[in-house]
Amino acid sequence: MKVSTRGIYALEAVMDLAMHSEGELVTIKDISLRTDISEKYLERIVGILKKKNILESTRGKFGGYRLGAKAKDISVYQILTAVEGDLTPVECLTKAADCGIDPDRCATRVFWSGLLDVLKSITDNTTLQQLIDESNQISKEKIDILEYYI
Amino acid sequence: MKISTKGRYGLRALVDLTYHCANGHVSLVQIAERQKISLNYLEQVFSALRKAGLVNSVKGAQGGYILAKAPKDITAGDILRVLEGEFSIVDDLEQNQSPGQLAIRHLVWEPINLKVRQYMYNTTLEDLVREYRMLNELSDESMYYI
Repeated sequence: MKVSTRGIYALEAVMDLAMHSEGELVTIKDISLRTDISEKYLERIVGILKKKNILESTRGKFGGYRLGAKAKDISVYQILTAVEGDLTPVECLTKAADCGIDPDRCATRVFWSGLLDVLKSITDNTTLQQLIDESNQISKEKIDILEYYI
Repeated sequence: MKISTKGRYGLRALVDLTYHCANGHVSLVQIAERQKISLNYLEQVFSALRKAGLVNSVKGAQGGYILAKAPKDITAGDILRVLEGEFSIVDDLEQNQSPGQLAIRHLVWEPINLKVRQYMYNTTLEDLVREYRMLNELSDESMYYI
């Protein structure tokens, strides 16, 4: 069970955008240059995130993207589910079961549902702002180490 | 983000085995019928579980499988590790990560790995069978009232 590349890139792209959009709009080209994610892939992800109101855009010569809400009000859960659909470890938690077993008598459905709760609680309680703060902290520590050696 | 068929079927089959093995070993044919899993597939799954020391096979005309340990000493994590590999939400990460990538790793991927593994290794076959028994009894009661 893995998170998809799309989910990983979505988190990286939103973080990059959030960290570089103080008062200005960010273009897909900028994000692509900084994150090494191809522009084409970013366009797809950003399109989905815009539909879910996580990002908003302005067209035109100076157009680009910015966050659709404050970073502290956007959760990792919102970003991941926007591009992944949902985080269910097995289909039958949200859709009809295709295994021929009555879901109400399934030996393991409750177990999988508990696993989904674990995934939800971590991603729902982690905000974009926390990621940004952590990233800034890591950058600062790196600079401190560099200065120490110089 | 999905668990593989092998992991799903394997865990369900072992709960079934535990539930029905009070009177001794259980044949894969019976598990296959009750859990609607192909016999061929179950054979592969049980061969892997046997090699890992979670079940023992009983040979002969009335052959089948039994648990190699008590249900309280086998966890969902033990079973899923054999069938799916150790749980990890992302593949091994490259070395040169940017501060942003590291932040996501510290606050999202690592806590998920830790908490999911805790959840899996804290849930035993005994817990799962207790749950299963309750479900079956509830369903049987409602059948009775109808």
